[in-house]
Amino acid sequence: MAANMYRVGDCVYFETSSTSPYQIRRIEELNKTPSGNVEAKVMCFYRRRDLPNPLIQLADKHQLAQSEDSPIAMKLKKICLKTPVGEEQAAQAVLDPALAAMEEESSELPGTDGLAPKQRHQAKHRELFLSRHVETLPATHIRGKCTVTLLNETESLLSYLNKDDAFFYCLVFDPSQKTLLADKGEIRVGSRYQTEVTNLLKDGEEDVRVNEELETLVWTPEHGLTDRQIDQFLVVSRSVGTFARALDCSSSVKQPSLHMSAAAASRDITLFHAMDTLHKSGYSIESALSSLVPASGPVLCRDEMEEWSASEANLFEEALDKYGKDFADIRQDFLPWKTLKNLVEYYYMWKTTDRYVQQKRVKAVEAESKLKQVYIPNYNKPNPALITSNSSSGKTAPAVLNGGTNGTAGVAPGQLCASCQVTNSTQWYTWGPQHLQYRLCGTCWQYWKKYGGLKVKTAGVFGETEVEVAKGPRGEGEDTALSVSHRPHRCTVLNCAKEFKLRAHLARHVATAHGSGEGARPVMKTRAAFYLRASPFTRLARRLTRALRRPRHYARSPFSPINLQQVKHECSIAMAGLGGAELRAAGAAGAGAARVRGPVGAVAARLAAARGTPVPAARHDWLTLTPKDAMPAPPHVAFPKPPKAPDGSLMYERVLSRAEIEARRAEAAPAQPLKRRAYDDINGLDRGGPGRSSLEGAAPPPAKRPNKHPAPMQRPSREQYAAMCARAQATGQPLPAHVFTHVNGKPTNISGRGGRRHVISWMDAPDDLYFRATETAKAARRNLSCGELRRGARAPWRAMRGGACKAAAPLQLVILD
Amino acid sequence: MAMQPHSKKRVCYYYDSDIGNYYYGQGHPMKPHRIRMTHNLLLNYGLYRKMEIYRPHKATADEMTKFHSDDYIRFLRSIRPDNMSEYNKQMQRFNVGEDCPVFDGLYEFCQLSAGGSVAAAVKLNKQASEICINWGGGLHHAKKSEASGFCYVNDIVLGILELLKYHQRVLYIDIDVHHGDGVEEAFYTTDRVMTVSFHKYGEYFPGTGDLRDIGAGKGKYYAVNIPLRDGMDDESYESIFVPIISKVMETFQPSAVVLQCGADSLTGDRLGCFNLTVRGHGRCVELVKRFGLPFLLVGGGGYTIRNVSRCWTYETSVALGVEIANELPYNDYFEYFGPDFKLHISPSNMSNQNTPEYLEKIKNRLFENLRMLPHAPGVQVQAIPEDAVNDESEDEDKVDKDERMPQSEKDKRITGDGELSDSEDEGEGGRRDNRSYRTPQPRKRPRLDKDGSTIKDEIKSEDSKDDVKNISSVEEPKKEMAPNP
Repeated sequence: MAANMYRVGDCVYFETSSTSPYQIRRIEELNKTPSGNVEAKVMCFYRRRDLPNPLIQLADKHQLAQSEDSPIAMKLKKICLKTPVGEEQAAQAVLDPALAAMEEESSELPGTDGLAPKQRHQAKHRELFLSRHVETLPATHIRGKCTVTLLNETESLLSYLNKDDAFFYCLVFDPSQKTLLADKGEIRVGSRYQTEVTNLLKDGEEDVRVNEELETLVWTPEHGLTDRQIDQFLVVSRSVGTFARALDCSSSVKQPSLHMSAAAASRDITLFHAMDTLHKSGYSIESALSSLVPASGPVLCRDEMEEWSASEANLFEEALDKYGKDFADIRQDFLPWKTLKNLVEYYYMWKTTDRYVQQKRVKAVEAESKLKQVYIPNYNKPNPALITSNSSSGKTAPAVLNGGTNGTAGVAPGQLCASCQVTNSTQWYTWGPQHLQYRLCGTCWQYWKKYGGLKVKTAGVFGETEVEVAKGPRGEGEDTALSVSHRPHRCTVLNCAKEFKLRAHLARHVATAHGSGEGARPVMKTRAAFYLRASPFTRLARRLTRALRRPRHYARSPFSPINLQQVKHECSIAMAGLGGAELRAAGAAGAGAARVRGPVGAVAARLAAARGTPVPAARHDWLTLTPKDAMPAPPHVAFPKPPKAPDGSLMYERVLSRAEIEARRAEAAPAQPLKRRAYDDINGLDRGGPGRSSLEGAAPPPAKRPNKHPAPMQRPSREQYAAMCARAQATGQPLPAHVFTHVNGKPTNISGRGGRRHVISWMDAPDDLYFRATETAKAARRNLSCGELRRGARAPWRAMRGGACKAAAPLQLVILD
Repeated sequence: MAMQPHSKKRVCYYYDSDIGNYYYGQGHPMKPHRIRMTHNLLLNYGLYRKMEIYRPHKATADEMTKFHSDDYIRFLRSIRPDNMSEYNKQMQRFNVGEDCPVFDGLYEFCQLSAGGSVAAAVKLNKQASEICINWGGGLHHAKKSEASGFCYVNDIVLGILELLKYHQRVLYIDIDVHHGDGVEEAFYTTDRVMTVSFHKYGEYFPGTGDLRDIGAGKGKYYAVNIPLRDGMDDESYESIFVPIISKVMETFQPSAVVLQCGADSLTGDRLGCFNLTVRGHGRCVELVKRFGLPFLLVGGGGYTIRNVSRCWTYETSVALGVEIANELPYNDYFEYFGPDFKLHISPSNMSNQNTPEYLEKIKNRLFENLRMLPHAPGVQVQAIPEDAVNDESEDEDKVDKDERMPQSEKDKRITGDGELSDSEDEGEGGRRDNRSYRTPQPRKRPRLDKDGSTIKDEIKSEDSKDDVKNISSVEEPKKEMAPNP
């Protein structure tokens, strides 16, 4: 029961996709929706696999620096991650010589010393990155609790590995900016921060401070009175107060009954006054009594509660309703004759009254939608990835069903658990891309879901690379990916020609060895890029291998993994029987012109022939296209054309963009009360973080790059758009780019010419290599037809038509860096 | 752990009846009203009449600039809600605006809070009291020229500076759920003040307080940080508080203690995330009080105000050594304490992320640091002639009660009351009392010298457990204070 009770503040697993690992979130709020469902507002933790590669490297370096006490490490501690560090900076930072030096010593997490490689591998699955990103998920997707704690240097990672569902974090990741930050404050040192410490007084030196100047005695326990006597005096002072209220006209109106007067006279103010009186009269009951009843009549002490008239109280409540607890405004607009202190004092007393309690009850009902905890029963539905006995291929004998002994004989490699290589398991889950038919045993599946990795680092098997490749080009993924040419980075300076593995290394070399002479070098770096140069072998493999039969599919999803082993295997089989000439022919086959298939009628005839149906001699009339005007008209138009605007354009109903829908939803939802949460306190970094709610399953990773387009975010209204079009037509100018970006939320192009000018942000420009068009090049370009230009762009290595290019020589290639 | 009967101490309590009426602003969790609620509870519990009650003076700018920078205090004095717009730049510079809003009477509020702590420190210096309480103080985040975390003027630093006139070493303990960064920073480079803070660490305000932050320069190893995780309960809190504090007392040997009693470490706090009860929180006060050193108690955080006033009321009773009923007495704010109207609160069922192993590791690391302390910090710089005088009884009589106590008298109090090891010696030479515990040499640290050889072993867990036992078994020092006028 307690295990399934989830409270605000708990860290939990969320299942947003059946095949991917759980997401780890911390519950910030639990809200009941009007439909009765419970939504959890959660804060996101990210796994290592969710972070870009440079940041991961940086995080490891940071860890290393933290764990060591060498001077270099101390220096790093100072510079490292005090401010958010982004991807580009991270890539450079990891190349810092000091860091590189440390890298040689070790490249693992701290505290890993003495850990087996397997444990080291698993420890990486336990590292999370805190973020201040908040999202909303349905509470029913919770799949269990876990703990996430800040790693303390005294702890060994083993203590996490030995505990189930235990994670740690060290750094804070900002998913929108892609930055890392060490969440650590700093005690500053310097005369601007420390105090001057007072010296101990020398012997005989007098302290100038005198208590009498610093304080006023209000009460002393050395009074010689017994507790009983004080109590008695308090009772007397209350009775005097009651009597005074009886004499006072205004009080007798407010407190018509004796009980009420007595209650009013028993408030703390009377007691405090009585104590003061006792003190002032030197703790003599006698003289204190007489000062309670001076010549002017019995003493009457009234606090704000009593002082205020009924109408003032009403005004106050009205004002509170209107302004909330902004007492300055309340005073100004409602009760100018009261002081602010009066108001505050009254407010805190008013809170004890019935009227407040009633209000509170109303609030409590409202607050009911805010839950403190929620019960989510264990999730028992089978995962779609579970291989049920029916669907599992005939290879698994039916006998396996009730016996625990899985037939070990003749188990294909694919039937092993991809992680732990066991062949025995009561449950199997398909894992990885379908065509590979990988499967995981029950325990490894659980491990994968919880920790986002496989228990063992499987080098050759596609297993781990799926993780890597899925995130785009990363270290290993890049190296192993088929036919990505790995060209070394060569220094371009004359007589140098040194080669470097990484471009950044080259950059450093150029800067140090040759002096950074380029003046126009941008401060920031463009993104790294690579191009694919298909070797003849690669091209051949594409023809031969079944796995690569769907080139279009792979072209469209460049990140979906390709099983290299399989490709190599198939290739070697296929190539075994071919001679060199045949190979060359096979490789060249694809390079030729596209096959001419002929008209559709001929194709149909061919297909029919292939299926054994007689080939009709004459052309069937069903094969001829119906002329447009002869087409049957539908009985009613499902999507009638919208009305026409005066300028002839169609007037479409405005379709709300997602942002707008969300904005509208946010408006409808009651404004969240300004509640300070614990994490609010941190540096105020999370202020204004948009509470992005993504209700539909998986939290979409934030846009890789925030919209840098300078265009206004406001979408033009239908009318504005029409007006803009009209103006553009009249003046013959193209429309501003942002107009098109916002039509139906999608970029559109009105026509081939004069359409949106596509400007690539220079940061998105491929690599640091670009072509600078000279006047001649531009002139030459103008001679090319649109189609030729496109062709050229798509196949940049191909010579352009005739000598158009030669005229533009020498090419102006500019290499940055 | 058996509770020792409370001992009676002379307690001074500082309160200004205006303090409850300062209002940080709508929705702001800091509510000075909690101090007034505490005060009313004290009156109705009958604790009021057992203490010396003082209305503190308003600290002057001169007093506050003993620590704070002149321009910062000048700014605090001149800023008002109605002239805020003229001070935009300065507000940013001094971090006034969001967490630390400008409210009506801000400067007076700071004056009262600081005035209370300074007056209390002077009181302790004059030995006119053994325990001073200022619930209006404890604003531990305030920096030299910067407001932070609802704190503008650091009354604690001002109080400690005052104590340093008479005390070679002052210990500051912070049991607020937040790190006491303002105090730690102020004394980061001195060995005369040791700051010990128990706080939630990790993704939490103010972000400082790492185990590795240990002080700098001369003050290295004089800042002690105990980073904790969510859900600390009474038991685990005591399990770390007791050994650390006893070890600190033993190695640092302070002659005065300041305890910041931030009540946001209580269960159910609006901003906190610990799971302490009033009893567990008050236990810290009790433990520190047992050392019998001049003791300044200040308030601090605490944002579920009904529990804050419960806590501070209870802690006042602990300081006084008076048992109070669990049934809350009727008072002006009685309705705040519904539905149970009891003094004590129960912990929630939240999970405690601080495993015993974690606490043990933290503790051992801190012990290692504490072992780096020189045995007599600062003693070589300070020439204290009185130390050579051994004949104490005479001295004691000669002392003019209106004068400040001579160093020898203070030293007696320091070592005598702070010693925990009395019970260890009971077997052989009989129990040591205030006359026999001192070694004849003119040393400040007889015990450390004697036990110096055993210190190396103390990292063992058994030893630390012994420490726990020590505290609980030691009886209150019987020694009477020199009577004061």
